[in-house]
Amino acid sequence: MKKTILSLSVAFSMSAVAAQDYAFDVTLKSYKGNASSSVSYGGQIARHALHNSLKKAAGKGDVDLMTDYFSSKKSGLTILDPISKDGFPIKQTKIDELSKGKDLLSSAYDGVITGWPGNPTGQELLTQLIDLAGKTKKGYDPVNGYDYIQLISKFTMGAVFYNRGVNHYLDEKLEAGAYPNDKPYKKGTVYTGKEHVWDEAFGYFGAPANGLSLTPKEVVQITKQNASVFKKADANGDGVIDLKSEMAFAHAYYAASIDASAGTKYFHTIMQAFVDGRQLIADAKGKALTTAQHTELKAYAKTIATAWQQVIAEAAYKYAGSVYADLEKIAVIEEAHGEVAKAYRNYVKHWGELKGFALSLEAAGRDLGGAQAGLDRLIGFSPILFGDTQILAADGKGGFIQGSAISMQEYKLNMIKAQNLLAKTFKLEGKLNDRTAGMNAVLDQINKASNSAEND
Amino acid sequence: MIDAFLPWLLEELANAGSSLFDLSKRVSLVYLISALLFASSLFFYRYGKAGLSRVKVYFSWRIWTHASARTDYALWLLNRLLLAFMIPKALAQSVWISWLFFFWQEQGLSSLAIGFPDILVVAFFTLCYFLTDDFSRFFVHWCMHKNAFLWAFHQVHHSATVLTPFTVFRTHPIEGLLFFLRSLFVQSLVISVFLVLFPNQISLMQVFGILITTFFFNVLGANLRHSGVALSYGERIEKWLISPAQHQIHHSNAKCHYDRNFGVALAIWDRLFGSWHQGKDNQEITFGTNQPIDKTGFLGQWLIPFKDISQLLTKALKKGASCVDPDLFASKKKARKGE
Repeated sequence: MKKTILSLSVAFSMSAVAAQDYAFDVTLKSYKGNASSSVSYGGQIARHALHNSLKKAAGKGDVDLMTDYFSSKKSGLTILDPISKDGFPIKQTKIDELSKGKDLLSSAYDGVITGWPGNPTGQELLTQLIDLAGKTKKGYDPVNGYDYIQLISKFTMGAVFYNRGVNHYLDEKLEAGAYPNDKPYKKGTVYTGKEHVWDEAFGYFGAPANGLSLTPKEVVQITKQNASVFKKADANGDGVIDLKSEMAFAHAYYAASIDASAGTKYFHTIMQAFVDGRQLIADAKGKALTTAQHTELKAYAKTIATAWQQVIAEAAYKYAGSVYADLEKIAVIEEAHGEVAKAYRNYVKHWGELKGFALSLEAAGRDLGGAQAGLDRLIGFSPILFGDTQILAADGKGGFIQGSAISMQEYKLNMIKAQNLLAKTFKLEGKLNDRTAGMNAVLDQINKASNSAEND
Repeated sequence: MIDAFLPWLLEELANAGSSLFDLSKRVSLVYLISALLFASSLFFYRYGKAGLSRVKVYFSWRIWTHASARTDYALWLLNRLLLAFMIPKALAQSVWISWLFFFWQEQGLSSLAIGFPDILVVAFFTLCYFLTDDFSRFFVHWCMHKNAFLWAFHQVHHSATVLTPFTVFRTHPIEGLLFFLRSLFVQSLVISVFLVLFPNQISLMQVFGILITTFFFNVLGANLRHSGVALSYGERIEKWLISPAQHQIHHSNAKCHYDRNFGVALAIWDRLFGSWHQGKDNQEITFGTNQPIDKTGFLGQWLIPFKDISQLLTKALKKGASCVDPDLFASKKKARKGE
């Protein structure tokens, strides 16, 4: 009997706190129209679709096609990804259906990126990567060890989405004086200043609006357009996936993917903070936020920014482990005088992912302290190539200069150090593909010990 | 300049003060009190009510405010400030362990992969860590006494003429640096080997976040070692574990006690090296080195070792020896022994 009561009360309390969707009514007092929802982030979703399509274009090595999605702001562009699949139809087929006149370049980080030869800005680096990808066959440059598909995609996510979300919308645009909550965002908008600033940050994260009712595994499968999760993904039950609110993009996908494999809670932590922060704004009912409300909102923003950064660092950590494993495989194949082309291709791919995520950490104007220089040096400007060489600099004509470096096997030690540095700097919990055998946890244990000079 | 310096100074001093409430520090109030309870219980068991008077000295105002004790406090705080600059601990350790961890694998060492349960690996790792740490402390300590140059620094610790729990901090900064290098070497070695042999399985057994052996060592009266409370464990136990009375013998200024009981927790190392000496509840000991350093404040404690080293070097150079005459190493100790 007791058990029944207990389970009933648990069931009741569960239903009482049913997960909240990212959906909010109009609160703007001066609004006289008929719209009922104040949520809008179509421009951000358009950029997600531009990024997904750019990645497809990079895989073709077609510079004109890449430029279309990267910087043209052209109308009539077809979405190359995500597109309808069997059992997983997508509502939109054109970028314009999401938002018009958007591009990626103008939203990209314009500060310096120290981890690439020549210290380019984020915008210059993306432009350069696309240009170089156009000179390769399908975005792969085996001579310099670059997989442009990965470099472009991973760094775009950092330089555009993470940068705009964390460095703009959750930072300066959230300040007390900026975009007040008792005025429309722009003349004639249905939403207030603060509502829209918050929505834009949420849009850049890339989570589906019903993210809190989804498990991390389901979120991952939504991005992969697995028909088995279609019903859950199609939140409004209209039989198609609306990219504006029912798809998982970019870092939202990576957060869920890490959670699904490592049991961490990044996705739901970020999602919950977005929902709670937006609820706080909605509860202000179109009035300016009080100091207390604003302080609370900033705390949610901090939670999001910290976890978002951790997600990117976790992804870099995972791929540092993959690079290590690839180098081990290459050594084994070489010893047996086998064919290394495939293993080398994977190595370059994983390095591109590692580098793309590591550079992303630099692309939001946040002070990483010594970790930035550490990561730059450990990962280098390129993977270690056959003959123990590496890209050491850029020449004046946009080419790369290779020089002798450490051996491929020694480079494995760099991956261990990079994992330790990432785990320590960003307080990582997931640590997938750990090649340090759990070193960081033991170091934490012993570092708590005394720092006084004690005699015996 | 002062604006930047003062907050840092205050923070460091506050950190030092917080040691009193930090279970990872030997001078935490919990351990200061537990040592008292431990000693009182044992004395009561051995001698009845009258035995309790044996812990009186632990409260002696005269001892806690003695010039020697005041020097302990000064060295504790000032060394902290100095060592904050000298030791970038966390960084060095991670780099060393990563390098060794990689090095062993390159040498062909690999995971044992025999599927030991985690708890067994953790227990084995903790035991090896403790044994290696305890032996290395013993050995470094032994060297500090046997080499005249090292003794020049270690005499600071032995110049205490009264012992209080804070004498544990009475250390020359150079010696502090050597202790840091010892722990860096030992920890890196043990941890890196175990990480290779048992990947993702190793962790130290802890109680309240403190290494289990350190916790029990501290709870069971580590602070009595540096105090006037003479507590012996009895011969049978003292052959395995160093008692407070045994460590006090190590601090004795009597000739017959010189170079005895170097150990920290375990007594077996002293037995192996022939330096073991039994302690007694009734032993009467005076502490110090019988040298002028016994009477100096913190500045003398910092500087005299350098003066002694320069004298040792001058003597060596005068002799024109291409390598330093081993007799010279012993000269200081002979002076100390009044020979």
